[in-house]
Amino acid sequence: MTKKLTFTSILAQILLLLFVVAWIAPTFGLFISSLRDKDVLAISGWWTSFITTEVNEIYRTKGMEAQFEKDGYFYIEDNLFGNKKPKEISSFGITSKNINEYKIGDTALFKDESEITLKNDGNYSWKSKEKFKKKKGKRIFITASSPPSFTFENYKEVLFKEGLGQAFINTFAVAIPSTLIPLIICSFFAYSLTWMNFFGRDLLLATVIASLVVPLQMSLIPILSLYNDFGALFGVAAKSYPGIWMAHTGFGLASTTFLLWNFLKSLPNEMMEAARVDGATHYDTFIKIVVPLSIPAFASIFILQFLWVWNDLLVGLVFLDKNPSEIILTAKLKELLGSRGENWEILTTGAFISMSVPLLIFFSLQRYFIRGLVAGSVKG
Amino acid sequence: MNIFSLALIVLVGILCFVLFFHLSNLILDYYGRVNKKGYAFENSIRVIIFIAPAFIVLFVFIIYPVFETIRLSFYDKIGRDFVGWHNYIWAIKDPDFRRSIVNNLGWLLIVPTLSTFFGLVIANLADRIWWGTIAKSIIFMPMAISFVGAGVIWKFIYDYRGPGDDQIGLLNAITTSLGFEPQAWLTIPIWNNLFLMAIMIWIQTGLALVIFSAALRSIPSETLDAARIDGASELKIFWSIIIPYLQQTILVIWTIITILVLKVFDIIYAMTNGQWQTEVLANLMYDWMFRGGGDSGRGSVLAFCIMIGVIPILVWNLYQHKKDQQS
Amino acid sequence: MKLLNTIVGILTLSLFTSNFANAGSHAYTYSGPDISGEKITILGPWLAPEDESFRDVISIFENATGAVVEYGGSDEFEQIINIDCQAGSPPDIAVFPQPGLAANIAATGCLTSLTPDVKDLVSKNYASADSWINLSTYDDPYGASTFYGVFYRVNVKSLVWYSPDNFEDNGYEVPTTMEGLLALTDQMVADGNTPWCIGLGSGGATGWPATDWMEDIMLRTHLPGAYDAWVSNDMKFNDPRVIEAMDFFGSIALNDSYVNGGSKAVATTDFRDSPNGLFTSPAECMMHRQASFIPAFFPEGLEAGVDYDFFYFPAYADKDLGKPVLGGGTVLTATNDKGATNEFMKFLLHPEAHERFMEKGGFLTPHKFVDTSKYASDTFRGLHEILQNATTFRFDGSDLMPGWVGAGSFWTGMVDYTNGKSAKEVADAIQASWEAGQ
Repeated sequence: MTKKLTFTSILAQILLLLFVVAWIAPTFGLFISSLRDKDVLAISGWWTSFITTEVNEIYRTKGMEAQFEKDGYFYIEDNLFGNKKPKEISSFGITSKNINEYKIGDTALFKDESEITLKNDGNYSWKSKEKFKKKKGKRIFITASSPPSFTFENYKEVLFKEGLGQAFINTFAVAIPSTLIPLIICSFFAYSLTWMNFFGRDLLLATVIASLVVPLQMSLIPILSLYNDFGALFGVAAKSYPGIWMAHTGFGLASTTFLLWNFLKSLPNEMMEAARVDGATHYDTFIKIVVPLSIPAFASIFILQFLWVWNDLLVGLVFLDKNPSEIILTAKLKELLGSRGENWEILTTGAFISMSVPLLIFFSLQRYFIRGLVAGSVKG
Repeated sequence: MNIFSLALIVLVGILCFVLFFHLSNLILDYYGRVNKKGYAFENSIRVIIFIAPAFIVLFVFIIYPVFETIRLSFYDKIGRDFVGWHNYIWAIKDPDFRRSIVNNLGWLLIVPTLSTFFGLVIANLADRIWWGTIAKSIIFMPMAISFVGAGVIWKFIYDYRGPGDDQIGLLNAITTSLGFEPQAWLTIPIWNNLFLMAIMIWIQTGLALVIFSAALRSIPSETLDAARIDGASELKIFWSIIIPYLQQTILVIWTIITILVLKVFDIIYAMTNGQWQTEVLANLMYDWMFRGGGDSGRGSVLAFCIMIGVIPILVWNLYQHKKDQQS
Repeated sequence: MKLLNTIVGILTLSLFTSNFANAGSHAYTYSGPDISGEKITILGPWLAPEDESFRDVISIFENATGAVVEYGGSDEFEQIINIDCQAGSPPDIAVFPQPGLAANIAATGCLTSLTPDVKDLVSKNYASADSWINLSTYDDPYGASTFYGVFYRVNVKSLVWYSPDNFEDNGYEVPTTMEGLLALTDQMVADGNTPWCIGLGSGGATGWPATDWMEDIMLRTHLPGAYDAWVSNDMKFNDPRVIEAMDFFGSIALNDSYVNGGSKAVATTDFRDSPNGLFTSPAECMMHRQASFIPAFFPEGLEAGVDYDFFYFPAYADKDLGKPVLGGGTVLTATNDKGATNEFMKFLLHPEAHERFMEKGGFLTPHKFVDTSKYASDTFRGLHEILQNATTFRFDGSDLMPGWVGAGSFWTGMVDYTNGKSAKEVADAIQASWEAGQ
């Protein structure tokens, strides 16, 4: 197609750009949030992290135990920030009713007639005529400027937090078999539905298509009961890895078979006939001819099923235990979502980490994905 | 369990299936050769080998639960006493049930339509633009994100703080900068459904986009070039040539997304848990099945309703399949 | 001679009985039988950071007995325990956040009754033991009253948290009567402050903090008998007295000038985020009514008694209903009668099991023999005293109601109420759901 720079093509580009921005903004927001300081995450929008903003914070001075005497006065001197990150202070206050009463360099007067001065790097000097008697220091309210700052602290905290690393491994242990086993089983199944003739084939195919619509919530309890009976009979645990592999295989069977069937029926008839004439059995035909041709389809189904299993929450909750040795990543994330209502930095970072694997897989295998997915559903 | 024992279990598990198929076929070949049975006999055994695992899985994980659910819908909450139509009558009278149906209908009307429409438009736009592939990848990206992750992402869009406080939700930030009062978006009845649907559209448009993209390749370029030479505008080409050509694909995508939407659960679960009148059938079913001791009778009725809601689509699909076979 | 014999006899007897008396107390450290190799699974609602504290407690048992105990937490506990029980694979021990839910599950036959020696340990070691035993006695599937659970980790709920510094800056005094509290609320508004921070958000459990408000209000406006009737549905949920209590809550929560963020923020703010308003600069609110476990969710670095403190959510001076205390707790139940499970339940009654958690904070107990110096702060010691000495003590009502109400329609009803539905509508709906679930 010719690439003219017409008005319509510019309009088209702008329209596409709008779509792209709208689509990426939410995820971008999450990404930026995961790099921000935990203190500001829940206080200001992520778009403010690119500019210097003003923040109001409260710090406490030391109490009577830190005092020393000098020239007849009692002093307490220290830095407000302690071991926290220092900021550039512009104004301060000594009561919650007026948080920026004083400028840097001013002397503030307390009710008990002691005085305090504050420098813009947080060093303060608190002077009193009489000995300090309170263990509790006084609150100092500061207004400071907070320049744009990003940090990997959140990622460090989440990645090394107990349980997330293990949850990562657990999820792989669930996802890989839950993707390969359906692929193996369903490819034989789809082949037989396409290229083998047997009694009841059409009915079976119709059943598979019908099962596409069964909501998996329906199956949870009957299957778990079955597992329990089975487990009791054979003395094994009901909730186990093989159990969840088969559960995922079951839930993914219909769509995997359907997609494979869609793809296989587009393969040329002549090839199969030729192989038959040569004396090859179905099994040989399958392994030697069909499988190599179906790699794109396999790849795309692998991606789809892997994504689905990796992102699944409900099946993982029901068929595996919640203890650290079995919990999957989405369940761990949901736990963080539920229990860390106020630790947004863990939420955002955790979400991003759990997204990383599916995104990586998608981007590296996308050409197979598109090719395999559309074959068969598109004419020509 | 450490990583090595896990890896071992994984390997063994997968090998089991590979070996099953390989060995059974090998044995069949050997047996057939030795005993010189006919091709037909071999064939029927082979069919059994090929379909047996899948058939068993299909039966155990899909067919059996369906019948079990239908059976349970006629029993009381712990599945002990037979209660006949009692649960169904309850459902018809229950206001939550009626609201769920209305909500589901809303979802079914809006989400597939918009996802398909956006997918089609973006596919067309991206096709002609040199950075189209990057655009497609970006728009497809939400499909790779779990629903829980999407929940976290959109938390930062819909969040609400009081008027006068700093807003950390993007939507409220835009609203307040335009001078309006911030809104608690997810609590506004009726509108909150639309806000939740936006999340699903955000996710599903990528699917539609990818399929349309490939489909567009199949339109013969001579037709399009001829139309352009004739002076037809891009818009006219879109409406009169592209859409009719893609009719089949449009319907397929619309069907797939409709089925996904009918089963929608996670988004609503993570964002509002069905509160503020956003509940859909899948959430209602989950609530009844798994809350307060569980009521498998009522939960099963709801599961059944989700299923029969898809029967029209199923019938239509089979009809298409028959048509396909005949052509 | 006879006298000598008598004296010896009495001495021996007293030695004997003093040994028996000591049987109610214990050796300081727990020591249990050797059950190495046994495995116990526990499912509960505690997530980070509380789950780590519990795992620490568990390690005492593991070290002493050689058993392996695995704890998994979920904020979907109600759903998971339902699924597991229905499917026949419950954990060995289930930690219920609501006795009402435990009662529902007990009626399905999933729980196993606890042995008499466990019950004995409870009655010897807990203050107001009879109340606690009653609260964990439910009907089994055949209607027989059975003892199922041990309460471990309780909380006091009739508390208002505040910043003493902020009160001092504004010249506010801690109110000791409800009338005083209401007057203080108005005073705060007049001064340009926002009195209350209220947040009902809690994922699938959104709405529960409002139920605590209502229960505290019911206890302060009506006799304890009325509260009991309400909780058992002898008093219908849409009784005018209940609606009146709901409206009282509304008079605060629906008043935009009384609540931080206005009434619309009430249902959308997470209960763990909402107390932050006490500590911001400028302060977004002055008071927060919440249970004793909330300090675990305060911003890091704050000290109890220094940066924050609590006062008793006061009662009306002119109603003569005393000073009622609302509280709650988690009850641990067993789903089988394995020896190891039983040993663990007995372990729970040992002071060490409580003291280890106490040291971590966020833990209260009715155990009479714990060393109160192990509490993380004076705040907790104060709460402990309240718990030990409560005269009118009532357990969280919504936790006692049947699961589909107390962990269902009551929560969602309160959310609807803050969203604009009338109290009568909400109360009617909750009553209807109570009856429908029977």
